[in-house]
Amino acid sequence: MLLNIENLHLEFKTFDGISKVLAGVNLVLERGDVMALVGETGCGKSMTALSVARLIPKQSGEITDGRILFDGIDILGKDQAALRRFRARRLGMIFQDPTTNLNPLFTIREQLVDAVLYQCHEAGDVPGLWRGFLPSSRQLRQDALSRAVELMEMVGIPDGNRRIEEYPHQFSGGMRQRVLIAMALAGKPDLLIADEPTTALDVTIQAQILKLIINLVDKLNLSVLLITHNLGVVAKTCQKAAVMYAGRVVEQAPVRELFKNPRHPYTQGLIQAVPTRHTVRGSLEGIPGLIPNLNDPPAGCRFHPRCERAIDICRSEIPANTVIKSNHQTACHLY
Amino acid sequence: MNLKAGYFIRRVLLLIPLLVGLSILTFSISRVVPGDPVGLAAGPQATPEIKAALRKEFGLDQSLPVQYYKYVSGLFKGDWGQSLYSRRDVADDLRAFFPATLELTLAAVFIAAVLGTILGVFAALYQNRIPDHLSRIIVLFFVSFPQFWLAMIFQLIFGLMLDWFPISKRLDVLTPPPERITGMYTVDSLLRGDLETFGASVKHLFIPALVLSFGALASITRITRANMLEALDKDFVKMERAVGLPEKLVIGKYVLRTVFIATLTVISLEFGWLMAGAVLVETIFDWPGLGLYIVESSLRLDFQPIMGITIIYGIVFSTVNIVTDLLYGLLDPRIRYE
Repeated sequence: MLLNIENLHLEFKTFDGISKVLAGVNLVLERGDVMALVGETGCGKSMTALSVARLIPKQSGEITDGRILFDGIDILGKDQAALRRFRARRLGMIFQDPTTNLNPLFTIREQLVDAVLYQCHEAGDVPGLWRGFLPSSRQLRQDALSRAVELMEMVGIPDGNRRIEEYPHQFSGGMRQRVLIAMALAGKPDLLIADEPTTALDVTIQAQILKLIINLVDKLNLSVLLITHNLGVVAKTCQKAAVMYAGRVVEQAPVRELFKNPRHPYTQGLIQAVPTRHTVRGSLEGIPGLIPNLNDPPAGCRFHPRCERAIDICRSEIPANTVIKSNHQTACHLY
Repeated sequence: MNLKAGYFIRRVLLLIPLLVGLSILTFSISRVVPGDPVGLAAGPQATPEIKAALRKEFGLDQSLPVQYYKYVSGLFKGDWGQSLYSRRDVADDLRAFFPATLELTLAAVFIAAVLGTILGVFAALYQNRIPDHLSRIIVLFFVSFPQFWLAMIFQLIFGLMLDWFPISKRLDVLTPPPERITGMYTVDSLLRGDLETFGASVKHLFIPALVLSFGALASITRITRANMLEALDKDFVKMERAVGLPEKLVIGKYVLRTVFIATLTVISLEFGWLMAGAVLVETIFDWPGLGLYIVESSLRLDFQPIMGITIIYGIVFSTVNIVTDLLYGLLDPRIRYE
């Protein structure tokens, strides 16, 4: 198991009270997996990802319960220095909007070289400003620069030597996402968390970026957690998928199995709600109702108010994970 | 680079109409305001004949457009006119007093910028915790007390009780000022390589500049804090942390530059306020700057000094603006000069 999230609870203090954003997330990701994490907006996909990186803003959000094990090591017990090392060495993250994720005031070189320096060396060995003039540190920077240019080529940015001197606003959205992928992967991490990496891009660029990620998985021995709400993307790129609803993972299965044989009523509803070529106009069915208010979530199964098959126990008790087949689990009282 | 040079030249050329407008405005206002500067200059016993002679001597009997024309053509020959009262050349007075005020203002702006940025950054990093409250209290404390009072208290504490700093003048009587280049003692002594005089002039400058800086400290601190909070919330900060950059680098390199662009705006605005507000501080620290000169000239409605001061201030204000605009371009690559 590369990543094992157990019973993760995350709460946010808001003006209207405490928002229980994650309420017992369970997720297992094996080394080499390309796993999708799907669900509606606000179901906690991104918060799960940020919890793994420990990037939840401290003032408002707090992990109240649960464990996150990465390669057997407890992430929640790490101090700041160890967390920085963990993010630099073992975890790569890319986010939704490539236009806002690069610092507009610095050249790509400045940002990419820093990423290389801090991901490939101990923080103490990276020359600060005061030691930047020593010949040894100049060599280090020079090496980091050539590594950065290599990375640019790896993610498919031609003419990296020249383009690395440019600023983010001189790059297109797709190219910026490539730069961000290069920054995330500079230190050859074990896991790449891609939080809706293609949502802000147009469809042709989307396909290119996904293809790039899949190519890099083979080349760099990566595992991927791909967060998306696009089931088409899931079908095309992932082997496994986990479905989230209102702060819990409700079903986890291999992608083929999940599409062919969805068990949780929410998963079934989701898959029914995807239009296909055969869908007749007006016949597309959504899931009735709205996502619950997380400040005051429904008791028991959080999906029960919208569920057509809800039974009494759903209103009072949180369903535990049931194993349907090996690899296929769902948290539903019906099974 | 070419575009930038072109932009710069255009901005400097735009100074000309600005200064023309400014001088016409000041000229008209000073002549329209009721008052009898000639009577004041000639003294209470002066007969009408003496007054008329004085009026004639200074060309005040001519029509206003002619007077204005003569003034401006004089400027081109380096003649800024004379004070009605002391009969000294305005150019000489400005050369003597202006560098002192400029030095004081620059030092105050520098202190306010450094102190304000530090206080603002720490306030934001420790939002709603003790350092934040402390920074708020310090800033409010110093901005709330009247400057003249603070000036005297500082003289008392740092000058008389602790004896760390001299309490008045630009240098003590026994130290000869450095040979003039800019007229600013700190700069000149440094340029001449005279470190001893440099040290002495910095010591004299520090307390008055510190007191003057308090006027700008509050706004710089608060704006820096607000912008810092906004910047810390940006996506790229999250990304930089996720990449594994140490917090020191994220804040000190990537966030600080973002924040400083906004701070720069405030600094350039405050520059003018500080220079105009230097009078009180100059008076208390016996700092031989423009402050007293301005007050006295205005009270006596002494035409030529008023004009000269206005033009100098106009030039300084616009220069600060141009420099600020150029600095924006240095800090933010997305800004284009067209």
